[in-house]
Amino acid sequence: MSIAIVGTGQTFHARRRTDVSQAGLAREAVNEALADAGMTMDDIDSIVVATGPVMFAAVNQPEKWLADALGARYKPVVRVTSGGGTGLAGALAAINQIKGGAAKRVLVVAYDKLSEGALQASISTLYDPFWGREFAVGIMGFAAAYWHGRMKRLGHTEEAAALVAVKNRHNAMLNPKAHVKREVTVEEVMASRPLCWPIKILDVPPISDGACAVILAEGSDALAITDRPAWIHGMAYYCEADNGPDRSMLQSEPLQIAATKVYKEAGITNPFRQFDVAELQEPYTCFELSYYEGLGLCPEGGAAELIMSGATSMTGELPVNPSGGCMGANPIGATALIRLAEAAMQVTGKAGAHQVAGAERALVQAGGGWANLRGVAVLGAERR
Amino acid sequence: MDTNSSSPRRVAVVNSAQTVLTPAWTDRQHIDLISDAVTRALKGTGLRIDDVDFVIDSGSDFLDGRSISNCGFLGAMGAHHKEESRIEEDGLWALNYATNKIASGSSSVGLVIAYSKPSESNVDAYWTALIEPFLQRPVGLDQFVAAGLTAQQYLSAAGLSADDLKLVSERAWENASRNPSVDTSAYPFDAAFWGDDVASPLRSSDMARPVDGAVAVLVAREEVANQVAKRPVWITGSGSAIDQHFMAAREATTLPACEAAARTAYRMSGTTAKDYDLIEVSGRSTVGELMVLEALGQAETYKAIDHYRGKTKKSINLSGGAIPADPIMATGLVRLHEAASRLAGRGYEETDARRALVHGTGGFEMQNHCVVTMEVDQ
Repeated sequence: MSIAIVGTGQTFHARRRTDVSQAGLAREAVNEALADAGMTMDDIDSIVVATGPVMFAAVNQPEKWLADALGARYKPVVRVTSGGGTGLAGALAAINQIKGGAAKRVLVVAYDKLSEGALQASISTLYDPFWGREFAVGIMGFAAAYWHGRMKRLGHTEEAAALVAVKNRHNAMLNPKAHVKREVTVEEVMASRPLCWPIKILDVPPISDGACAVILAEGSDALAITDRPAWIHGMAYYCEADNGPDRSMLQSEPLQIAATKVYKEAGITNPFRQFDVAELQEPYTCFELSYYEGLGLCPEGGAAELIMSGATSMTGELPVNPSGGCMGANPIGATALIRLAEAAMQVTGKAGAHQVAGAERALVQAGGGWANLRGVAVLGAERR
Repeated sequence: MDTNSSSPRRVAVVNSAQTVLTPAWTDRQHIDLISDAVTRALKGTGLRIDDVDFVIDSGSDFLDGRSISNCGFLGAMGAHHKEESRIEEDGLWALNYATNKIASGSSSVGLVIAYSKPSESNVDAYWTALIEPFLQRPVGLDQFVAAGLTAQQYLSAAGLSADDLKLVSERAWENASRNPSVDTSAYPFDAAFWGDDVASPLRSSDMARPVDGAVAVLVAREEVANQVAKRPVWITGSGSAIDQHFMAAREATTLPACEAAARTAYRMSGTTAKDYDLIEVSGRSTVGELMVLEALGQAETYKAIDHYRGKTKKSINLSGGAIPADPIMATGLVRLHEAASRLAGRGYEETDARRALVHGTGGFEMQNHCVVTMEVDQ
């Protein structure tokens, strides 16, 4: 069974959206997705909500609150939560609903309203209450340790990571939905205030309020809805368990497993050449470098060279994050679905000013947890 | 993605297991409860953890006091290097996800896990945090007030008194006392438990008792199920539906979302309410249990109490149901485990039933409902 994205929508992302509640924020994205698909809520069989951890915004199981604003009464509503990658995990749940025969058209809505909670304090509760919380402050110390290891072994230099910030912030300038529109130079990134070395403040994306919605449908139905569906060529979401000492600090194993599975489904044998565009969820600049390798866009240890070559810039061979990625907007629970929506916009030619000309096949990556949950998807203009 | 799959494939429960449900597992951590249930769900099937393609789990960050709490339990769940997703809703919804995943043809064997340790959390805060912060929280609405308001209206409409509800609660505790998986050692005989109001007209005995525990259900596609299970329990239908969030916008004495979920499940399985004698439902209160039975079409509106007056042939909540043991987030999946065990002939009591109807609920004052139908071959 083929499945396609038939509509996408996003809010305007901002540091504080004081004009809407959580429910209103979700509704804004859903309205845009329904309009994009030419549908109403009556056409939707089932809704999957995806958010970051509930402690981010202090409402337990917030999909229950959203039900009224979404017009979901008497429909199936379920929430998938998986940290930063939750939007992609939600889309995968929707695909399984359609393929399993439980629904024909599924709305996925992902959001976070990070202005309403204590973000890093909530993230700190990821760690084991007995063995982890004394030294783990938020996610940054952990990410910095990863990067430091990769810097030494794989040559992921501070300058290379700074180029990710420069590229993504440049791309965000043309994205009308982006929250942060300010270009930076490598020198500015290098000179910016260290938060947890080697992570400096300009290596870090903003904290945003925002939502994204995507509508998925079965193949023939998708063609009845739109003449330009974005076909799902493959999608997977894998995990690794929490036994820290056994984990490689260099490559993400669940990312490699997910990529292998999805590439096989999608017929990808040479990812760098076969993809026209990629949307990767980079919680810090150093992660984008790591994902280049995990996704096989370059050999292990080749990420710094790849970014420095300019191949992943808007004018390069494989533009990565034409939307600006998380550097443009970072409503954590929505970021993975935003990557998927942006990829769908690219392969259907709807990306506007940040469109990659002629893009037909897109790579999507997202992840969450303490870097142990990783998802990959491939979208195409062609039915598969 | 595969292009040649046709209609959804048959999915079966091949085995399931749970820990004892008890008010406080003080000498076990979450991972201990989870791994105990998982290990026993695999035992005797010939399947090993390596044969499991994916894990779908249910638990609450809020109750666990941990963000993305599934991350801390992946090892215990046997999920390492597998596809895993967390559904933050009762485990019956996780089972739906797993069923879809196998029915779609993309996987063969899945593990569904739900667990809860409310003894380590503030249960009242869990329920209150479920309601939106602007209009409902400030007026002091909480789980007891909400259940009391519903009960007042229901009893009045049904012409029942608070004492009539004792039929429901006494039956629940009596059934639970025969269930080796429910710890009833603290079975409360004192008059206050049965007589004092906690939210008029409801007494403590009318409310679900939070307990700690874990449950694991092993599901598989037909070919695997026939190989590893003596009596596969086929999942024939499922449905879920949500109601409005604001209580004032809901129906006062009926559960139309539960009706909608049941309609979907009956339609998918090609059955009707009459076809089910073995029924396991999750009521957050005695009145909730009655309303659910009516919404499932197992009683006329306001007549569910008749099942407790000795006039019934239906086996309703033989396990005791959710009143004596409510492992929040796992309650519905425990109902499924209880029903599937009986159908498969591996329960602590025998049954003649060939079909079972299972219900789970989630959200504040039962906003969300899930219904699953199952059967075994003749």
